[in-house]
Amino acid sequence: MSQILPQEQIDAWKERVTGHAHPMELVVDVLRAIQAHHGWVPDAGVELAAEILGTTPLRVEEIATFYDKIYRRPVGRRVIHVCDSICCWSRGAEEVVGFLRERLGIGFGETSADGCFTLLPSCCLGACGEAPAMMIGLTTHGNLTPARILAILAAESGEAAP
Amino acid sequence: MPKLTIDNQSVEVPDGTNVLEAAKRLGIVIPHFCYHEALGAVGACRLCAMKFEDGPVKGIQMACMVTAQEGMVVSTLDAATVEFRAHVIEWLMMNHPHDCPVCDEGGECQLQDMTVAGGHTLRRYRGLKRTYPNQQLGPFIEHEMNRCIQCYRCARTYQDYCGGEDFGVLGTNQRVYFGRFRDGRLESPFSGNLVDVCPTGVFTDKAFRFKSRYWDLEEAPSVCPHCGLGCATIPGGRYRELQRVRAGSNRQTNGFFICDRGRFGYGHAAHAARPRVPLVDGQEVDWTQALAAARARLDKIIAAHGPRSVALLGSSRAGLEANAQLRSLARLLGTDRVVFAAHAPRDWTARTLAAGLGAQASSLDDVRRSDCLLLIGADPLAEAPLLALAVRQAVRGGARAAIIDPRPVALPCATAHLPLAPWRLGQALAALGDNDWSRFEGQEAVFLEGVHEALAGARHPIVIGGADLLGPAGMRQLLELARRLSREDRPCGAMGVLSGPNSYGAALLAGDGPDFEELSNAMITGEVRALICLESDPLTQAADPAHAGLALARLDLLVALDSLPTKTLGHAQIILPTTVTAEGAGCFVNNEGRMQTFMRVLAPGLPLRETGGGGHPPRLFMADTPGAAPRPAWEILAGLQGRAASLAELRDALAREDVRFAGLTALAAESEGQRVADAGLALPATRVEDYVPRDGELALLVCEALFGSEETAFYSAPLDPVRPEPRLILHERDAGRLGVTPGEQVRLHSAVEEVVLPVEIRADSAPGVAILPRVRGSLVEAFVPGVGPQPCRINREVDHA
Repeated sequence: MSQILPQEQIDAWKERVTGHAHPMELVVDVLRAIQAHHGWVPDAGVELAAEILGTTPLRVEEIATFYDKIYRRPVGRRVIHVCDSICCWSRGAEEVVGFLRERLGIGFGETSADGCFTLLPSCCLGACGEAPAMMIGLTTHGNLTPARILAILAAESGEAAP
Repeated sequence: MPKLTIDNQSVEVPDGTNVLEAAKRLGIVIPHFCYHEALGAVGACRLCAMKFEDGPVKGIQMACMVTAQEGMVVSTLDAATVEFRAHVIEWLMMNHPHDCPVCDEGGECQLQDMTVAGGHTLRRYRGLKRTYPNQQLGPFIEHEMNRCIQCYRCARTYQDYCGGEDFGVLGTNQRVYFGRFRDGRLESPFSGNLVDVCPTGVFTDKAFRFKSRYWDLEEAPSVCPHCGLGCATIPGGRYRELQRVRAGSNRQTNGFFICDRGRFGYGHAAHAARPRVPLVDGQEVDWTQALAAARARLDKIIAAHGPRSVALLGSSRAGLEANAQLRSLARLLGTDRVVFAAHAPRDWTARTLAAGLGAQASSLDDVRRSDCLLLIGADPLAEAPLLALAVRQAVRGGARAAIIDPRPVALPCATAHLPLAPWRLGQALAALGDNDWSRFEGQEAVFLEGVHEALAGARHPIVIGGADLLGPAGMRQLLELARRLSREDRPCGAMGVLSGPNSYGAALLAGDGPDFEELSNAMITGEVRALICLESDPLTQAADPAHAGLALARLDLLVALDSLPTKTLGHAQIILPTTVTAEGAGCFVNNEGRMQTFMRVLAPGLPLRETGGGGHPPRLFMADTPGAAPRPAWEILAGLQGRAASLAELRDALAREDVRFAGLTALAAESEGQRVADAGLALPATRVEDYVPRDGELALLVCEALFGSEETAFYSAPLDPVRPEPRLILHERDAGRLGVTPGEQVRLHSAVEEVVLPVEIRADSAPGVAILPRVRGSLVEAFVPGVGPQPCRINREVDHA
């Protein structure tokens, strides 16, 4: 299990869970820790989280599959969540998506050949005021234009070089 | 009691009733999926819309989410509402496949009904439907997710009501998926309820798959024969085969759900070795010959040795009418040697309960509503599974539940457990009654004091005890404890967990009569020469099967009436085949003294599946049905008394003769049943000192298991895949002392037998006790539960070699 989460982190999480009245409150944090270390959450990661939290893998899987920011399949080094909700749609989200697809050569749910980017739709990023918007990592990028997208992709791919 | 108007009819309902239920009282049934009486309202399916015309709530609302209030005026026929419901149904149907012809749910599919009721007849959606991979969910449940309409009933039943944690809801929006983390058997012993609650064909009965259409089944209200609780069931039969069982509803007992033992135990009816024809000395004969032979041989023995040389043995598996007929036969023959249970300690415990329960009797519904429960010497999941669900509902409602038991009793809810050796359960009951903790130390005393405080302060406390671990003396103490905890303003309820579906009824008939131990001693001395055995298998059921074997071997005549291919039949000169529960009508008295009648579902007969060997049945013309000879036991016993009788007459006579059963005549199946009138029995004297091991010794405690222990269900093929492997449970301290590791083979030396089996090591069982769950048909079959702790010795098998 060491490749999913380092042993000292596992121990630290178990320490936090001990004596916690509601360990399941930590489920998202544990999954995010696994994801930060491993890139995504494999089945063994769900089982590890269940073991840490003292619950069944199903209980963890219910949460893991609910949130689209928890990745249950391998993803690229950067995940692009592009908004397809109504405000972004009315401000050109379809063109943004089209541009991203063409540029990266991938559709939704796919990862670029160089393993750098995964493209996912998102229902709303809470960035309606800057529509159209997308999110990469913890950064939200608004007022997207082809030029801005190119600049963002260049910067992200530079940072995310293997 | 608000009064409201629905579709111009007024109805008064209890406070807290929702408008959907209120409409149902008027006979107005509005389509709905997510609402279920036992699960509550969540307003998720949007189907039960009604128009609130006047009163405190206005507009189109989900009726399940609105509490009925005074002065409401509601319409279910309003045009906008009807259209609303039609759109909701169309939208629910959007992804649903058109696979009704190959779907087992077809005909009893709520979605079909609601689609028709909602007026949706033409699919307008032309897009792609979403599809899912299915999971292998084990031997009981077939999974077909494409049919799902996301009503969440399954997850709410499995997790919320039944406490299962291995099945739930995954994904979001268009990808919502109901399943497990991985393929695998559903772990909850209540998993079969998914079949009943799923409004469409996502979860169907795997053992029943593709056997019959619902409308082709013969169904009738029945009572589950697989433990003492008497849950309502609806068995279904076709082609002379009992093909499935679904849950019936009885608000006093099971509510709406049943356990998997009850649901999949029906296979005993089609057991290939089941006795199907009357046999005299191994020769097939007709009923007239069989009854004449039995009667002639009995008369001959009576003439030679007197009437008391004949004994009769009834059972908790046979209905009240059959056992009562056994009693009349005994009277006719002039013998007082009639016993109603093969297991003497269980017999006396049941008699103690029946004599002393009185007004403290509590139903499963009382348990569900209780705010404080003490379970002592009871393991609900093993001995009476639906009790575990009832305890869970109480705990969900805020009740506290404490368990005092040597076994690692696990319930699907939060409980406090004190692992106490079996010989100390009586001390605990006495301490709780006397408020005196001097015989307990440290943590134990604190636990017991806490339990006492909780029971004393509760509004609806109930104490629940298991017959097998408490024994007659403990049961008496349990009833005494309930009395002492009762106050004028607030009674304390009591419940005893008994093993058979009619243990209580058998105990009522037994009164202060002899027990099977006395009977078998008389057989061994030769005083008893003949035994009439009614649906009882002393060779696997008696407290001491070896002793019972010696006794049976001494008999000149054994007349056995049974529907199961028991070991005892092997000793019988005359075998009279009886019907199983679903093939006859009768009455069981459950563990709270509730008489419940059941109806005949199907006539006995060799299943067409067997006569046809998988193909078309033989093209032969004959007047009689193959395998149809089995008769209800009451009819055979009346025949032995030389009279033909109808069940109605027998019930009438019984109710007239014995006031405790007054009301039996008018008791309808599918009703809530009726408690027997005051037993009027004296509490039997109790004896028996428990074996108490000295320091360093281990006591062997044999107990029931969820699957594999119960007699009737043992003969059911659909349960074969879940029968456990035998194992011995040791406390970690004892395992450490013996140097045993988990899973290691040990040799168990006991008075019963010497066996080698693996160990399971627990930290939550009582130290000093080796626990052996009985598994019939395995190497530990000879170990019988309910006989108290026994001396034993355990070695590592590697040392033995």
